[in-house]
Amino acid sequence: MDALEPGAVIVVESRRPRRDLSTLGLISSPLGYLVVFFVVPVVLVGAYSVGALTLLPQDHFLSLRPWTDLLSSDVYLGLFWKSVRMSLIVSVASLVMAYPVAYFLALVVGRRKYTLLLVTIAPFLTSYLLRVLAWRVILGEQGLITSFLRTVGLVGPDEGVRWLFYSQFAVYLVLSYVWVPFVALPIFVTLENMDRTLLEASSDLGAGRWRTFWTITFPLSIPGVIAAFIFVFIPTIGEYVTPLLVGGPDGFMFGNAIQSAFTQGFDWQFGSAMSMFLIGAVTILIVIFGRYLNVRTVTE
Amino acid sequence: MRSEFDALVRTPTGRRAFLKYMAMVGGMGVLAACRKNVIAEGEGGPAPTEARPPLEEEPGVLHVYEWAGYEAKWIWRDYARKGYPEPKFAFFTNTEQAIAKTTGGYRWDISHPETEYIQDYVNLGLIQPWDTSLISNWPDLNPALEAFGQLDGKQYEIVTDWGYSGVIIRTDHVDPSINSYSYLFDDALEGKISWFDTPWILIQAGLVLGVESDVFDMSPDDLDACKRYCIEKKKNLHSIWVDFTQMWDDVRQGNVWAAYAWQDAWMVLREEVPVAYIKPKEGVLSWAEGLVLHAESENYHHAHEYADAWASPQVGTRLTSLWGYGHSNLDIDLSVLDPEVIEVFGLDDPIGSLSEPASLIGRHLPNRDAYNRAWDEVKAA
Repeated sequence: MDALEPGAVIVVESRRPRRDLSTLGLISSPLGYLVVFFVVPVVLVGAYSVGALTLLPQDHFLSLRPWTDLLSSDVYLGLFWKSVRMSLIVSVASLVMAYPVAYFLALVVGRRKYTLLLVTIAPFLTSYLLRVLAWRVILGEQGLITSFLRTVGLVGPDEGVRWLFYSQFAVYLVLSYVWVPFVALPIFVTLENMDRTLLEASSDLGAGRWRTFWTITFPLSIPGVIAAFIFVFIPTIGEYVTPLLVGGPDGFMFGNAIQSAFTQGFDWQFGSAMSMFLIGAVTILIVIFGRYLNVRTVTE
Repeated sequence: MRSEFDALVRTPTGRRAFLKYMAMVGGMGVLAACRKNVIAEGEGGPAPTEARPPLEEEPGVLHVYEWAGYEAKWIWRDYARKGYPEPKFAFFTNTEQAIAKTTGGYRWDISHPETEYIQDYVNLGLIQPWDTSLISNWPDLNPALEAFGQLDGKQYEIVTDWGYSGVIIRTDHVDPSINSYSYLFDDALEGKISWFDTPWILIQAGLVLGVESDVFDMSPDDLDACKRYCIEKKKNLHSIWVDFTQMWDDVRQGNVWAAYAWQDAWMVLREEVPVAYIKPKEGVLSWAEGLVLHAESENYHHAHEYADAWASPQVGTRLTSLWGYGHSNLDIDLSVLDPEVIEVFGLDDPIGSLSEPASLIGRHLPNRDAYNRAWDEVKAA
């Protein structure tokens, strides 16, 4: 490199990236959509919950009563924890069922992996309600399982297995089934992007399949596992359709209570308070999970 | 290299501007909703009579917000025969949902709620009174029923149909002579009972317990007693149905021996399995429904013609034949109906059948929130 001449003027160009209208234009539409259809409705619901907005004659203006009613209620807080427990069980069950599928597709299947991946997510192309209602044919009193048990004599002709349908078990099973394809995807992506030479090196160094899996494959797939866990956990906390259809007398969840406040009663303020509580709780959980999840590791 | 989006939101100026814009939009949303609220409280309402255009100048296409099934042409055949345009139908699954959607700005000309919700529609300024002089079938309608459609001396609802919220039982397993809402709370029927998802279960519990206060306006103590009774008896449930066809299937297949049911369940199932429809001795909870006219309807005269068609005795006869529901018109030809249907539902004496103490027609619940929360506690238990 040539030495600088005395008196030379050094010009340092600014490293600030040039922001032009094209960038703003590109992001304005999705941002606008997000603001109009997410931020504004959440703000409105929050305003309803504290009486800053009222709609019905019986609504309380500027009142925290809906919140105090909620936070002092063992019933509704109990429902919230019941829903959290359900979400945890469904998320773990979905992961346990989806991981082998994702592993098989990413590391075992050869040329047809994307075809099989399409087959795996094909149920998503059908109606959610149909997929849930189809379980009645399997789990119901006159369903496949009970009919088989009666045929082989394990159950009497007029008896059934009460816990199979219209039960918490049915809710866990159906929700897990519904979410498996969705859970398999992020795990598949993580495993697909894994450096295969690490597996070769492990084998070369004498490690067996299980040791390779537990010491290399699984640890490297954890970001995908956590992402999948979050993708299931968050929406199932507020789930109300499946508990309504297959949960029976014990299928009432926090999401059902919110739905009931808005559609069965005119208790919009209380329903809004429950909704904001759920949003707040989920936000806190996302922050907690975010500290354990390196987003860049998942996305890169 | 950082993305341009990173540059936009990570610089102090970019982040502040972003949050500022979000707050502005959120604030505009709140203000917009406030303005809407003001409109709901103070403005709107029916146009003065002299401002209403004649029928020929109305838009003509009625928008009818209905329960599914009531769009059948046989209901509005007389209306169609007069040459009026075919109405457009939209459907709701419960009246609370219909009111919520209407309050949010959904427009219709005619809707079909239960009488106990008229107060809510009026409170929200959503409906206007009918002019009964424009309805030729009005003199033939049951005055006792039509009284439920009045508020402050004005006819806000043309009551057209009515029914019972009784109990359907499998007579091969359950004794019909008990004749009580206690079927729904009977320990002897453990695992064979189905409730409908409605706070009216609390009212039925109140009737069984014999509470002192009005079951439609229970005291806190009475409501609490009913709630605890329902929680205690919840262990006997097979299901809490939301889809009546699923309840029909459960009764048909013998999974359920006693269920909260409307008359149509008996009309369908009596041909297939041994069932009886119970109008309990405590007094059968009943409902009456009818047509309401939107406060800002531009089809005032068309709406009256439609209501008149609904109120005809021919519609009543077919309604009863098909679904077992009663009709408000007292001139229905009972000779064409199944005698068993007439006997079971008391159609030969519609006034007596719908009067207390035999029948308790649903009324506006002054403390509805308390009922709903009590019902939530039952379901959550």
